[in-house]
Amino acid sequence: MQTPLRQQRLAALRDIIADIERKPALAEGQARLDEGAHNQAFPRLPKGLVQEVFADENRDAGLSLGFALAQSTGLVTSRQPSIFYLQLAADAQTFGLPYGPGLSWFGLEPARLTMVRVADMTEFLWAAEEVISCRSVASIIADVRGEPKLLNFTASRRLSLRASASGVSMFLLRYGHGRESSASHLRWRLMPQKSGRHPFDERGLGAARWRLLLEKGRIAGNQVEWLLEWTKNGFALVSPSARTSAPRATTAFPGTLPAPLADRLSQAG
Amino acid sequence: MREGLRIGQNLADARAIWPDLVVQEINRPLLRDAFETFADWHSNASPMVAVLQDANEFGDLVLDITGVSHLFGGEGAMLRLLLKRLRDLGYTVAGAIAPTIGAAWAVSHFARSQVVRPEALDDILDALPVGALRLTESQIATFTQMGLTSISQVRQRSRKQLQARFGSVLLLRMDQAYGHVEERMTPRLPQADHHVDRRLADPISLMDDVLLITHDLAVQLSYLLEAEGLGAQGFHLFLYRVDHKVMTLSLNAARLTRDPHHISELFRHRAQRLAGDYDAGFGIDMVRLAAGSVERLDPVQEGAFSLDSGLEDIDRLNDRLSSRLGVTAVLQTELVASHLPERAARLVPALGRSSGQPVAAPLLQRPLRLLPVPEPVAMTAEVPDGLPALMIWRRQTYRLVKGQGPERLGGEWWRQASRLKLVEPPRPKPPEPGETVKPPPYVPDLPLLDPGSESRDYFAVEDQEGRRFWVFRQGLYGSAREPRWYLHGFFS
Repeated sequence: MQTPLRQQRLAALRDIIADIERKPALAEGQARLDEGAHNQAFPRLPKGLVQEVFADENRDAGLSLGFALAQSTGLVTSRQPSIFYLQLAADAQTFGLPYGPGLSWFGLEPARLTMVRVADMTEFLWAAEEVISCRSVASIIADVRGEPKLLNFTASRRLSLRASASGVSMFLLRYGHGRESSASHLRWRLMPQKSGRHPFDERGLGAARWRLLLEKGRIAGNQVEWLLEWTKNGFALVSPSARTSAPRATTAFPGTLPAPLADRLSQAG
Repeated sequence: MREGLRIGQNLADARAIWPDLVVQEINRPLLRDAFETFADWHSNASPMVAVLQDANEFGDLVLDITGVSHLFGGEGAMLRLLLKRLRDLGYTVAGAIAPTIGAAWAVSHFARSQVVRPEALDDILDALPVGALRLTESQIATFTQMGLTSISQVRQRSRKQLQARFGSVLLLRMDQAYGHVEERMTPRLPQADHHVDRRLADPISLMDDVLLITHDLAVQLSYLLEAEGLGAQGFHLFLYRVDHKVMTLSLNAARLTRDPHHISELFRHRAQRLAGDYDAGFGIDMVRLAAGSVERLDPVQEGAFSLDSGLEDIDRLNDRLSSRLGVTAVLQTELVASHLPERAARLVPALGRSSGQPVAAPLLQRPLRLLPVPEPVAMTAEVPDGLPALMIWRRQTYRLVKGQGPERLGGEWWRQASRLKLVEPPRPKPPEPGETVKPPPYVPDLPLLDPGSESRDYFAVEDQEGRRFWVFRQGLYGSAREPRWYLHGFFS
């Protein structure tokens, strides 16, 4: 074959590959991420992102669901009223199921959440794509246990393309330390953190707190670590120094609540 | 009745008459199945087909042909056609068309196959024997003893006497046969007022072909419904096989619809769940799509100012998910007025969600995730009601540094059988000398209700690293059963 012709052909092929590699959807997502950047507070992330939330162990399932729901409540609008939750039916005892009264304590109407329980990974991916392409869904939260083979790069790329197209956010709650290549826009590592101070109870559980590490993607001026607190009004940032500082000026009972005492009295009488 | 054999004869007698008799035991399930298959197949003659089982064990086929006989060229032609196609298959059939079910039964069993005109009903029935009234063996025997053989003789008797001797059943049967009392039938297949058919010249067997036809039918059906301003919630697909079997595929939509794309897509998803159950046999030669639960659906104009709440999209998404994954796979929470955590929220299918009395969620500290079954944990806690300090769960140790509680939840005694056990048996007195000891009244030997063993104390706890759990202790210290600890949920 003649050399110039061959080089021409190679150049054309390189152009095609460059076109493919430009990843239009991902680039678009990146542009929107930069828009949402604020100076100090946790940024309000735009719609249509696929976020992987990695917790270290299965037992941290409550934390990651909390983080995903906290972001989802901010995404709910009158046009996009629903949140979907997706889980393999076999994983219910491992992770637990979202609990209605708990959701309303957390700050979300239980009726907004629809649970989809699938039998295997094929149905899981089908249901995820079906939900993610419906424009009236605010977000979809999916529990993934371990590292299923079907959830490979191709599958996550399909999900992220559809999410970008429809504007539905997806949270893949994953567990463990293994990180496979994926086309998600953001990847978080979520670590437990001692809760905030209960206003009236020295030993009580206060507002939920999480420590977040951004492992993939870039938001809000290259910050990679956050210490977040969730109140019903939204995220609050906790400065690392305030973690151990003196309690805020709230009237607290000395010691525990009198409730146990009352119980004991009734038992004695 | 050939060669002296008859129904109801002893086997020994029959063998004596006909030594080479081949004897086979009756296969009742097979017969019943075959009969039901035939019944379904006859839905191509009339939509209302039922199997009548009150007179005969395997039943008789009943068709309500009101308003359909003209399609077959009149009642006589229809009867001939239906009988002929069964006879062609090698069966011995008798049939009749009559104004009432009772008369049709009587004529088909005790006279030649014919069409009974309403004006001739009384004459024809009067001539038949009493057995034509769907009576039991003993009743017929009694009539024979009384010397009454034909129905006309029975009718001449006073109704009071007949009722006293035979009960109201006889009078009911007579009234039903003569049309004084209406007799209802329960159709086997779902009733569908609106349906469209596609008859095929060559039988098809691939599911894909069926789905293509389903889409065409859905378009036709939507025109049909739109012309009348209707929408439907239930959809049934009937596949008529060449070998006279009918397969039905039914599904429900969350809201009234007549969108052909939505309907055909739902059937596509439903067919994927079918997988192994689909058996086309030698092929399908007719497909019918029927709409059920039809109600008025006014056309909605999609304008620039219409408010789109997105709920319709969500309902359609729920339809799609339910049709492929099953109705019980797509769930929503329904709050229940109960203080027990596992009863306070119930998962109900998103499709058939009842909009009953909404229960407000109590503002209590509740976990975000609840385990379907609480898991037992080993716990170190201050006795009796102190906060837990150390927990071992799934072979890992957690040092608990924060805790709230206890929140005491009593068992719902009004739902339990143990409320009956509250009665304490009376102690027998020591017998005095000279007094005869009466046996004590029978008291069931049940354990007494122990309120302590039923109540739970819930604690919200946090470990050193910041994991937040919801644990409870079942039972109280000092009660009959040793208290045990369980993990029930996770906080955010």
